[in-house]
Amino acid sequence: MSHNLSKKLLSVFLLVVLTFFACKKAIDDPNTNVDIQNQVNIDLALVPYSKLSDYKFFKGDLKNQDPNTDVIPYQPASSLFTDYAKKKRFIWLPNGTKGNYVADHELIELPVGAVLIKTFYYDSVQPSNNTRIIETRLMIKKTTGWIFAEYVWNEDQTEAYLQMDGSYAAISWLQNGVTKSTNYRIPSETECLICHKKNNQAVPIGIKPQNLNTDYPFSSGIQNQLQKWVALGKLDNNIPNSIVSTVDYNDESHSLRLRLRSYLDINCAHCHRENSHCDYRPLRLAFDETDESVNMGICVPPDEQINPSLVEIIVPGNINKSMMHFRLNSTEAGNRMPLLGRTIVHEEGVNLLRQFILSINNCD
Amino acid sequence: MKKLLLFTLLLTTKVIGQQTCSTSQLITAGTYTIDSIDGTEIPNPICASGGGGATNGKWYKYIPTNDYTVTVTTDFTVNGNVDNRVHIYNGNCGSLNCIAGDDDNGAGYLCLVSFQVVQGSEYFIAFDDKWDANGFIFELIETSAVVIDTTYVNFTPEFISTIAGSYKIAVSDMNGDYLDDIVSVTDNNVQIHYQSTTGTFNAVNYTTPTIPNMPSWSMAIADYNKDGYNDLLYGGGNGVSFLKSNGNGTGYSHSTTSNYVFSQRSNFIDLNNDGNLDAFVCHDVAPNVFYMNDGNGNLTFNQGGIGDHPNGGNYGSIWIDYNNDGLQDLFIAKCRGGQNTAKINELHRNNGDGTFTNVSVQANLSDSVQTWSSAWNDFDNDGDMDVVVGASSFSDGSHKVMKNNGDGTFTNITTGSGWDVFTGLSIEYVSYDFNNDGFADVFTNDYIMYNNGDFTFTPIQVPMGVAAVGDLNNDGFLDVQVGNNIYFSSGNSNNWIKLNLEGVQSNRNGIGARVEVYGSWGKQIRDVQAGIGFRHMGTLNTHIGIGSASSIDSIIVMWPSGQKDLICSPSINTNLLVVEGNGTLPVSDFSVNFNTINAGESVNISDLTSNCPTNWVYAISPSTGWQFINGTTVTSQNPQIQFNNSGTYTVSLSASNFNGQSLNSDSEIINVLSTIGINELADTKIAIYPNPTSEKLNINVSAKFQLKEIKLFSSFGSLIQVVEPTNIIDVSSLSTGIYFIEFNSINNELIRLKFVKD
Repeated sequence: MSHNLSKKLLSVFLLVVLTFFACKKAIDDPNTNVDIQNQVNIDLALVPYSKLSDYKFFKGDLKNQDPNTDVIPYQPASSLFTDYAKKKRFIWLPNGTKGNYVADHELIELPVGAVLIKTFYYDSVQPSNNTRIIETRLMIKKTTGWIFAEYVWNEDQTEAYLQMDGSYAAISWLQNGVTKSTNYRIPSETECLICHKKNNQAVPIGIKPQNLNTDYPFSSGIQNQLQKWVALGKLDNNIPNSIVSTVDYNDESHSLRLRLRSYLDINCAHCHRENSHCDYRPLRLAFDETDESVNMGICVPPDEQINPSLVEIIVPGNINKSMMHFRLNSTEAGNRMPLLGRTIVHEEGVNLLRQFILSINNCD
Repeated sequence: MKKLLLFTLLLTTKVIGQQTCSTSQLITAGTYTIDSIDGTEIPNPICASGGGGATNGKWYKYIPTNDYTVTVTTDFTVNGNVDNRVHIYNGNCGSLNCIAGDDDNGAGYLCLVSFQVVQGSEYFIAFDDKWDANGFIFELIETSAVVIDTTYVNFTPEFISTIAGSYKIAVSDMNGDYLDDIVSVTDNNVQIHYQSTTGTFNAVNYTTPTIPNMPSWSMAIADYNKDGYNDLLYGGGNGVSFLKSNGNGTGYSHSTTSNYVFSQRSNFIDLNNDGNLDAFVCHDVAPNVFYMNDGNGNLTFNQGGIGDHPNGGNYGSIWIDYNNDGLQDLFIAKCRGGQNTAKINELHRNNGDGTFTNVSVQANLSDSVQTWSSAWNDFDNDGDMDVVVGASSFSDGSHKVMKNNGDGTFTNITTGSGWDVFTGLSIEYVSYDFNNDGFADVFTNDYIMYNNGDFTFTPIQVPMGVAAVGDLNNDGFLDVQVGNNIYFSSGNSNNWIKLNLEGVQSNRNGIGARVEVYGSWGKQIRDVQAGIGFRHMGTLNTHIGIGSASSIDSIIVMWPSGQKDLICSPSINTNLLVVEGNGTLPVSDFSVNFNTINAGESVNISDLTSNCPTNWVYAISPSTGWQFINGTTVTSQNPQIQFNNSGTYTVSLSASNFNGQSLNSDSEIINVLSTIGINELADTKIAIYPNPTSEKLNINVSAKFQLKEIKLFSSFGSLIQVVEPTNIIDVSSLSTGIYFIEFNSINNELIRLKFVKD
């Protein structure tokens, strides 16, 4: 009895904490959640459901994104920039199934029924200075392959509804004390596939050992994510001891090159790698490819001439004549890179690129 | 190497570069040192690539003592990694014009630029600190002036400071005077630089509602509400927006549907041929979309039916009539990474009933080369549209020249065309005849591939990339607007004509019309298009160069409605307005070789009708007593008519062409004299010779014919002279022409013969 009571109190406490600190990383550990009534509800014949709540990924108020039993929060080492939106990511696998390691840089092979969940939100949204959840994107693996399911949150933040045609959400928020605004693009199903594909088959992007070989603050304690998945029985224990891994591009303890390669992998490689949307261009920006400078575009002339002064994709020591810098620094839809997912400049990312370009003086 | 360096340094002259244009000091050929770029006047306009943003400059003045080719170079090893930029001007300080400029033509980031100068003219050379302010040496070198090759044209930029807006990618007439204007837009403004007849531009801004989609990917312009003023299409990354003129060109209303469209090339085209322009937009990642016009300028979104690859890959749509059936077909330049059939180019045949059939495979155009646009024109002037498929990447094949075989198929004739060795890559390929030599060229990046007329192309570098093409000084040679610079064509001595179309039953701009131009070269054709290449919008006027030919026989405009208008012998080197249905009518005219003949004889008709007749109908009254001979008929251009019975006949002609019947009817009177009962006598009893004759006419009379007298008549039947019986007549005093000679016997037999006096 006292145990139950204390557990309830803990739940209330967690709810309060999450309500106030919705921006913080989810701290629940699925191991501690054993509430049978709140089992995740996935019927592959019926998904995508019309409402996000139908899946029962979360307990309590939906907007708290409090993961239910076996819904595992995760975070890649570096993350995609999408107009400064914050993200919460979760993975759910059917009972008794697990993922398989393929290679450091390849997607973890996930079982049929697997669901990836990613919620996009902003804090300090003006004028009320509150948190606003905009969308939750799902990828669900059916027997025929991955499908996309896009849920757009209502104004009351009580529910998100399936909406596959794309839309906008005008939003202003404080970013490090500075007001920023964007007409946030919620993608259509068609747009999802532009990035999430390999030879035109829908695929996830971030679920690779190289990106998950980092610690995460689970409610049970900080632990390496891959090891945690293995411990939970959600990943086959065949992962090698040493994994060639990306890093957090914000982590200044790593070299500029390693940070930039990590940034380029998660922000650019879904198009600029073999068998992807833009593989006809010379760039190869996946982390396992950028160990060669030429694949990063260093001293490589661009195919498309925007301006004759942009002589190479990356000119060692010369920001002004580097096409990559021009494109990352542009907001014009016809010039900017990445093509989708951002309408404003990611100043920290551009700054990282700038530092890297200035740090090199040859093509090697 | 070190010695040479020292030598160079020793030769360096110390003329201090100046802070401003107006204080700049005169330099001559030689080498000069700049310590740093620290002058207060920032060079303007910008003549080199890289854009604005410099904060300082360094100025020199130069007045050549001869016509020269001048080179300004900083391309010296001693300059190391300095990244400098140079602008060359003429004009006056404060209102300078770019002559040339360069950023990186030298090694590394050094400058190297050559230009032509005229003796005694004043030039300014200005460096700026766009990239860095470090010092360097430069040299001005004079070499003898190059004789300009007028085979091609040169382009010289002129800076128009007033062009404003986020998107400066369109040139098109906007006020119905057929002079190309410059259109630049932001999300709440349309700015038009109207071209005046005096060659200046008058800038006007029109505020618009906030437009959700900007022309980030392409812009198309045409008059879809048929009010005489062109309207705009913005192809954005998430959708398409339209701006419609308000009936007098002084404002624009806006419409956008909520449909997601990742726009690429956009075009205006009348898809259902109802006389109202519809809009077509390539979708990057889904089936193409099109907007059907209800006839009142309202557009309805459609998707599916014209290029339906589920993953899109549609980049460069261009409308051409590839099979000469009078219907505009669609070619889509396609591109897509990965193992994906979305990269395969498509040709869609217009079935004429609103449906399209993908005929890419049978046409031999289903190519997987990565292309964002392709250039169509009749490159060999054989009467059908060929295509240069231009690569954007060499990862899946390279440029291809595909010759139209005239039977719906194309043959790859790239080898030896010049495109096989052209290593440039671009997303832009557009075809115009830039040097007006009568052969359509291809413009890509900073090259014009000049068409030699035999399916070979010569690459000539130009100082600008592909942008908005139009005639911005109305000289008949196409210019290029790049941002705030207009690169004006120097032109050459070639002749040209520029068609200004006004559709009536068809769409207002005549988009989709086929134009045929006939002359000593044979035939040139053009298809009238709104939206070619990848991103820009260019002139809607139809430009045709005719080389050194001094006249055009005729032009036929075949409108989408089916109306054909023929313009006969148009003036050259000017604009020609063609209003649908108002082609020139023929003026009927003909002559006959005889107005008076004997029954049984014939007349030959010579057609003299003007204004390019194509059909002739002769009428003869009365309706009997004659027949067409030698295979000619009532509709022959030059028929021959034999008259069997005597009498007076009227022959009249009504000619026609595409445009209709001539308003007049020309006629001739034919007098046919009776010869009943005497023709057979003539055969046997009297001979005259020689015939024709210049002096004497010999007469040989049979003994059976007892000659009483001889009479000479003119061809009109008037009596000239009565001659006593003789066997030779002196006709030397007669003027040249046709005469009749009449013999009377004492038995009142009559024989009339004809002779010609030379």
